[in-house]
Amino acid sequence: MTQTLTLISHTNTSTNFIELVPLLSIMLLMMSAFVMPLLKKKHHIYGGAIGVLGLTGILQLLNVLHINRSGAYTFDIGHFPAPFGIMLKIGEVESIIGLLFVFVNLMIVWYAYFSLEKEIKENRVSFFHTLNLLLLASLLGIVYTNDIFNGFVFLEVSTLAACGIIVVKDKKTNIKAGIKYLILSSLGSGLVLMGIAFVYSLSGHLSMSYIHEALLENMAGKHNTILISIILFTIGLGIKGAMFPLHIWLPDAHASAPSPSSAILSALVIKAPILFLIKIYYVVFGMAIIGETVILDLVLLFGVLGMIFGSLFARSQTELKRMIAYSSVAQMGYIFFAIGLGNKLGLIMAVYHIIAHALTKSSLFLAAGSFIEQTGFKTIDEFKGIGKEMPVTLGIFTISALSMIGIPVLPGFISKWNLAMAAIEIDKIYLLIILLVSSLLNAGYYFPIIINGYFGEDNLDGKIFRSKSKPVKTLLPLMILTILMVLAGFFSGSIITFIERGIYLG
Amino acid sequence: MQTLVNNYMFVGAVIMFGIGFMILLLHNNLIKKIIGMNIMDTSVFLLFVSLGYIKGKEAPIIVGGEISKMGYVNPLPTGLMLTGIVVAVSVTAFMLALTIKLNDMYGTIELDEIQKMRGR
Repeated sequence: MTQTLTLISHTNTSTNFIELVPLLSIMLLMMSAFVMPLLKKKHHIYGGAIGVLGLTGILQLLNVLHINRSGAYTFDIGHFPAPFGIMLKIGEVESIIGLLFVFVNLMIVWYAYFSLEKEIKENRVSFFHTLNLLLLASLLGIVYTNDIFNGFVFLEVSTLAACGIIVVKDKKTNIKAGIKYLILSSLGSGLVLMGIAFVYSLSGHLSMSYIHEALLENMAGKHNTILISIILFTIGLGIKGAMFPLHIWLPDAHASAPSPSSAILSALVIKAPILFLIKIYYVVFGMAIIGETVILDLVLLFGVLGMIFGSLFARSQTELKRMIAYSSVAQMGYIFFAIGLGNKLGLIMAVYHIIAHALTKSSLFLAAGSFIEQTGFKTIDEFKGIGKEMPVTLGIFTISALSMIGIPVLPGFISKWNLAMAAIEIDKIYLLIILLVSSLLNAGYYFPIIINGYFGEDNLDGKIFRSKSKPVKTLLPLMILTILMVLAGFFSGSIITFIERGIYLG
Repeated sequence: MQTLVNNYMFVGAVIMFGIGFMILLLHNNLIKKIIGMNIMDTSVFLLFVSLGYIKGKEAPIIVGGEISKMGYVNPLPTGLMLTGIVVAVSVTAFMLALTIKLNDMYGTIELDEIQKMRGR
């Protein structure tokens, strides 16, 4: 026991202020969240929200630079050392995901300034921002925490806040989608809590590193209990992270929510539980335990099913936003596929794909939101010829869609290529066919929108060039997201090496 | 069989969890679903509290500067479950609020009837 204490509690000696960033970001977002309802004027609300998010973003950037220079660190909240207090552990993966979450959220809030009150009532805008800031704080909490019960509490906060930004629209379908999401999510939380109870009964700890050591010490003869708790965590977090057969809440929720909410839900909210699941697999249990069970093969299977069926369902949708929502299911499939491969490259690509998908899907949803806002249409057929009316927005949509399909240089291609490499590494060549089929299916439902949008005599007939274009200033956040997405593809090498330094697998 | 009897807390909690889980999953009435969710959460609370309990011992409260030397009930799970109860209460409150909203809009809280309405 003394050995473990010296192993982990080497903190409190440094006085580096950068190491306050994780806690400070969470506190800043949580506190400013409750100031939002007090503000009345629109520009005060947005000024406050964008100011707080911008400040948090700068802090996160400093944090990433600090980590890049001097490596991972731990932070004891309230100076209570680890087994008793809550410990935050921030490494390369956590810091870059934190920066990503804050940045994408900032861009979405910037976009919402020009479009949100067209979708929800004006007196609810401040509540949207309260919920959004709370949601972001809880997501950062899930990413940073090294304590599973703390992670569970943040998971619940994020569920409630995410449900809040769905029902903020106050339409029939939103309430129904919100209830569906909340019911399935609370099922998931119940399973996660039960999993925590089993792990606690085995190890007597709640801090991830301590559980790991306790499990390694006395795992003999307790394989069944360990397996049960792993399954409970996988299903519980699988519901929240839209693992394929458990995704049924996702299309309703993501399609009916206001467009900025859809972008937040799809880009950020389903990512945090997956990172939590990765941490549970590799930090709590570790490869020595996980490798003996069949759980990674199951995750791989569900990932493959998600990649194929998510795309098939997406093809059969008539509504644009529902189609993009099902595309999220397929993309989540890629992440579970990457986790399920069970080797280092696969795990790195899971994290890289989280980044790639967050940037891509947020700009796709915001672009789709612009189409719907400017034309008032909803179904895919009605968007024929949209490329003449809104060329720039469809251009952004096209670049993002190309990344989803996997055109070289764009991040979607980088993850598919490396996933193929990872599959070859463990001698599962047949998985390449699945990657290929899934890419073709992706192309099958994104290309018709682009082609019918830009080309075809019938489609362009009677449309006036740029008649429905939005002003450039409203498209600026979308353009920044797209540029960043392309850069994430260009500089994928350095991003991957950065993630590799902090990945949980030896 | 003997293992089941020895771990009666686990067995009881899992049975109760299953009951709650099935109610939450299979019933169409939203109020029943909320009750199911609460049963499910309560089973975990009971399991957690029983994990820290030692028969005949008390909470580690210092009286007159001295703590009982013969061991005490682990206060950590109890403390955790206070947080858990707060979480469950807030989720329940939110679900009930949404149920009222749903009743206002659809005139029913049976999910299968609402599903049928969409078809029309």
